[in-house]
Amino acid sequence: MFNIPKDKEVPLGCVTPAPVTEQPMMITGNWREYRPVLEPEKCDLCMNCVVFCPDACFQLDEAEEMVVLNEKYCKGCNICINECATNALTEAYELDFEDGVVRLETPF
Amino acid sequence: MASKVHQITVWARGVVQDKEGRDIANGVASAAGRAGKFTQAFDNYVDLPDRVNVPLRKYARISDEEIEERYEYENATPEIVIVADATIVKGINILRGMEKGGTLVVATDRKPEEILKFIPNKDLLGTIVCVDAKAICGDQTVDFSGSEGGVDSLGIGQGISAPILGALARGTDLVTLDSLDAVVKNKEALHKGHEQAVVKALN
Repeated sequence: MFNIPKDKEVPLGCVTPAPVTEQPMMITGNWREYRPVLEPEKCDLCMNCVVFCPDACFQLDEAEEMVVLNEKYCKGCNICINECATNALTEAYELDFEDGVVRLETPF
Repeated sequence: MASKVHQITVWARGVVQDKEGRDIANGVASAAGRAGKFTQAFDNYVDLPDRVNVPLRKYARISDEEIEERYEYENATPEIVIVADATIVKGINILRGMEKGGTLVVATDRKPEEILKFIPNKDLLGTIVCVDAKAICGDQTVDFSGSEGGVDSLGIGQGISAPILGALARGTDLVTLDSLDAVVKNKEALHKGHEQAVVKALN
């Protein structure tokens, strides 16, 4: 119907393609000031962090039997740290780490 | 030919630093305005709704002659970039559009070298200024006074924006400490920021 170059194509309204596991058009990792850090030996896999994370950043890695944080989307709300039953999660300042944040050209 | 318009972009965290970011942009503009320059300061209109902790922008422009591009609502080529929360440096290309030899002011307790580590395009910078704004005046003000045309009942520069403005006066000649003194409310923090700022010249 319209001859729009592929790289200039935008979705209608605020409709974006349905995310399966990740939504690359809404990377929120750079909202974070403090990130949750997991101490694996304290974790008893109660799954509180998986349930309470508003962005579903914590997922269970079934092969490793460990919860894994997706830092690309973690906003640093630290709800997981509050909900952790065994205090296995602690907050750490973001500039103490070299990586873990996707460097975007524009805020979105 | 029109004289050069100096563009200043302020990066801050949404909601929690909304007032601080606006104070920095407004403070620079009104201080330079008192020194007889043509200025404007305005909030970001481009990308994001203001939500907690999103990286957001505030803009200011300073010129010796009347600003022609008054209604352009984004600073395409910032000369000075001010970052009110250091972790923003990691997640955004804050120097986008900057010409070589620009100035970066960061509010952080870290050294300039540690901040530069997170900036891949740091060769654009001429000067970096770091100031520990939170240590100078404690927590930032969370307030919406003065936003979207509302009356600013608190006044400019009560929180961390005061030391950042002081540090800016160290890093650039665009505004002087004397003219900032007349605008900023927390004068003690302004002078402390000016004294304690760590300035590093690059290249």
